Amino acid sequence: MNARRIAAGVRDGSRSATAVVRETLDKINAAHDRLGAFLAVFEDHALERAADIDARQARSEPLGPLAGVPIAVKDNICYAHGTTTCASRMLERYHSPFTATALQRLEDAGAIVVGKTNLDEFGMGSSCEHSAFGPTRNPWDETRVPGGSSGGSAAAVAAGLVPIAMGSDTGGSIRQPAAFCGVVGLKPTYGRVSRYGLVAYASSLDQIGPIAGTIEDCALALSVMQGVDPHDATSADRPGDHLCAHAGSETTSADQQSGGSLAGLVLGVPTLSRGPHNDADAQAVFDSTVGTLERAGAEVREIRLPHADHAVAAYYVIATAEAGSNLARYDGVRYGFRAELPRDATLEAMYTRTRTEGFGREVQRRIMLGTHVLTSGYHDAYYLTALKARRRIAEDFAAAFSAGCDAVCTPTTPGPAFALGAKLSNPLSMYAEDVYTVGASLAGLPAVSVPAGVVESAGARLPIGLQLIGRAWGEARLIDAAQRVVNVLHPEGFELPPRAL
Amino acid sequence: MNPGQYTTEDIERVELVVGMEVHVELATASKMFSRAPNPACAGSGGMDEPEPNSLVDPVVLALPGALPVMNRAAVEMSMRVGLALGCRIAAQSRWDRKSYFYPDLPKAYQISQYDRPLCEGGVVEVPAVDARGVFDLSGERTRVRVLRAHLEEDAGKLLHELPGGGGGGKLDGSIVDLNRAGTPLLEIVTEPDFRSAAECVAFARLLRLTCRFLGVTEGVMQRGHMRFEPNINCRLVLRDGREVATPIVEIKNLNSFRALGETIEYELREQPGRWVEDGRELGAGTKTTRGWDAGRGVTVVQREKEDAHDYRYFPDPDLPEVCVDEAWCERVRAGVPELPLARMDRYAAEAGVNGAEAAALVEDRETAQLYDAIVEALVGMGRARADVARAAANLLLQQGFKLANERGVAVGALGFSAAQAAGIVGLRLDGDIAAAAVEVLLVECCEDSAAVPREVAAGLGLLVVRDAAQLEAWCDEVIAAQPEVADQVRRGKVQAVGRLIGQVMARSGGTADAKEAREMLLRKLAGA
Repeated sequence: MNARRIAAGVRDGSRSATAVVRETLDKINAAHDRLGAFLAVFEDHALERAADIDARQARSEPLGPLAGVPIAVKDNICYAHGTTTCASRMLERYHSPFTATALQRLEDAGAIVVGKTNLDEFGMGSSCEHSAFGPTRNPWDETRVPGGSSGGSAAAVAAGLVPIAMGSDTGGSIRQPAAFCGVVGLKPTYGRVSRYGLVAYASSLDQIGPIAGTIEDCALALSVMQGVDPHDATSADRPGDHLCAHAGSETTSADQQSGGSLAGLVLGVPTLSRGPHNDADAQAVFDSTVGTLERAGAEVREIRLPHADHAVAAYYVIATAEAGSNLARYDGVRYGFRAELPRDATLEAMYTRTRTEGFGREVQRRIMLGTHVLTSGYHDAYYLTALKARRRIAEDFAAAFSAGCDAVCTPTTPGPAFALGAKLSNPLSMYAEDVYTVGASLAGLPAVSVPAGVVESAGARLPIGLQLIGRAWGEARLIDAAQRVVNVLHPEGFELPPRAL
Repeated sequence: MNPGQYTTEDIERVELVVGMEVHVELATASKMFSRAPNPACAGSGGMDEPEPNSLVDPVVLALPGALPVMNRAAVEMSMRVGLALGCRIAAQSRWDRKSYFYPDLPKAYQISQYDRPLCEGGVVEVPAVDARGVFDLSGERTRVRVLRAHLEEDAGKLLHELPGGGGGGKLDGSIVDLNRAGTPLLEIVTEPDFRSAAECVAFARLLRLTCRFLGVTEGVMQRGHMRFEPNINCRLVLRDGREVATPIVEIKNLNSFRALGETIEYELREQPGRWVEDGRELGAGTKTTRGWDAGRGVTVVQREKEDAHDYRYFPDPDLPEVCVDEAWCERVRAGVPELPLARMDRYAAEAGVNGAEAAALVEDRETAQLYDAIVEALVGMGRARADVARAAANLLLQQGFKLANERGVAVGALGFSAAQAAGIVGLRLDGDIAAAAVEVLLVECCEDSAAVPREVAAGLGLLVVRDAAQLEAWCDEVIAAQPEVADQVRRGKVQAVGRLIGQVMARSGGTADAKEAREMLLRKLAGA
């Protein structure tokens, strides 16, 4: 399923949006019990929107670049239809009165929201198991996790249910599930896409981004979502970045015949990428991938990111500090869950019971951690130290780019998708999943995960992701590099999971 | 010291030390970080209290996914106040989150400025005020250092008026009203430079006047547009030569000058005795927070510092730093007018008005500008400033304010122009109209801003008659009609001539010149 082709067909009348949506809904329903990717499906709403687009096509009215394209939306992105639950009991019946800016822009471009996808509660997790409404399963092996926190979105794309899904990435929440599910996930530069309507986890790190089956669909979605928003003071415009240049062009047969030479492409590979934390098979895939790229003409440079070892620690201090503050608003006073209490209960009892019963354990763990690191007496040692590390990490990347790297190249994850439940009892091993992704998050840089290869494990074929990190606001160049890399690695296209629809 | 070691007899002298925190609700159209309407907006003063929770939006309600966006107008208003207080405007200031849970605080944090405020380091000269709040412009002034002025958002309110409502930490019957939540609040913090309650009240009054003049607040005290929080302690000089300082007491949320003065006087009386009883002296962790119980005339402990919050301040990641470049700062500075105190001093010097009159002229910016425009118009007509200033001030202070009160509008909004007022003042100064004609002409000019006072006066027959024969005729008639009074004057009771003048004025329909009538009457009655 390719969004650009669907939209082209709907615009020229050779395809009806209604038929596309009908087919999508059938696939979602067929896969639902198996994958659990969706928390809500908007059948009537989506069909109404499709009928409207078809009617406009019939009247020869102009249609947008995503006309009739069904999209799935991570359920921490506000939509003024249905619920926005963040996979939390706290917001189980919460209806947002407004639609997130990025999502509104996709809708205005003709995209049709077919449903909301599962996630780790409030985006906190790397497996999609920390959902109050049950886990999502990996389409490649249903005994394994799809990654997280945008696990539902990645699984929905990988299973062929939708061509594009919206995710959000705070420390890797788009890239890691994209890698686990064998699809493309793009985290934009911090500020590229408005966060208005993205339910905050860690405000200085959160970014909305696309997950799709192809790089060009990611670029297409990003080109629609991006740009300054008066509702988000941290959003920005960078004129001169023409993302659509890559979004509109299909890979030419000439490129494919030439094997997509990578001459002139400089890739920096940090020493960290070959660490002992890596799964041996995944390491082999990464090494052979880098070898393939080098043989195709890319210049591969070993680079040092001296402060990368501190990235996970710094990330969990900063992200939890902001999370503790951002999630304080869920207090049972104005909306959302409120614990059942006797009439003479105190205010404090209401707060305590509501937040204890409304939040899952991982969310509570991060709120407590975040509260602790900001407490006077600990604030300087934890929070200020983490901010310093964050600056150093950003400087490391800046040095690599000024030395001439087009992109920094790492595995997206230390290994392939793990089994459901494997890391639930050990939060630190779950946090270690983020070792390759948090660096770009802390530095605010754009990064994309593309399928590198596949490993065999216990009879299942499991995808391994390759992460390319670009310079700030350099999405156009990053997307170009990623497309060239993919042309070399997958001239026949990506391998699909066994039961893709 | 140990409690019981001293008695109040051992205290030789008590010196008061007060620092002030003042909260000013800024009158922007929308709130500090959202587009929701601001209840403290200028012009909403006459509105009925809006329905609870009618001035809200997703940002005010702290809905999931909502983000704050800074209101530039609030920053500019704060810069105006900062500049008026002599502060430096920080090139870069920052927003921080101050965290605590309370139902009137929707995000469970308040966006404030912690260690990098917008304005820092000012100085204000404050004249004394008397008990009625009248400034003494000729007396000594107190120099007050302003530590900082920073911007933040206000919290909402809890209403406990419903049946069963009662506070005390119970939810039953209370409602949360978030209309005020998110209103821009400028917090001005002074150094502990006040040595009396009267000085604090004078500062508070001058600050209100200044903020109103700068157009940043309507300054309606009953609506909480300004709230005062004095930090009070005492220096005790003991008979044994020791000096001790009592712990600081912060009084929360005073919204009247009277409460401010009374609270400080109360603490000044109480703190020495408290020290004798509990022996606690100034030091880390000794500050307490009290509230003023106006009914009983006492302060009541609200919070001991021991259980004070850890607010866990950290920079708000949703908001970029506030960067004020030289050009922006200069633009704002250019918009800061001559301030009320400087104007009052000038008015006292040029027009000889007293403190109360000067304060009335600067009560709002339009009135002050109108006064200045009238004087300038008269000077433009070739008159000396010293000759016209008092008459111009009187026109506004007497007839102007009288009409304004009757009509319930500001003087500046009566409808007459400065040129018309100058015309009326000119006629009166030249003796071309009688005193009573001033108000008549002003009323006419309120109706028609194109009317020319001299023409109106002529049309209404208000111009003083300069015909000596006519005046003599009126005087003779009056003397003939009132022989007894005339005799009294002849016998030397000069003040009785007033009754005769009144008769002349009545016969002339107000067009006679009272001064000339007096002279003529006295001449006629002296000759006999």
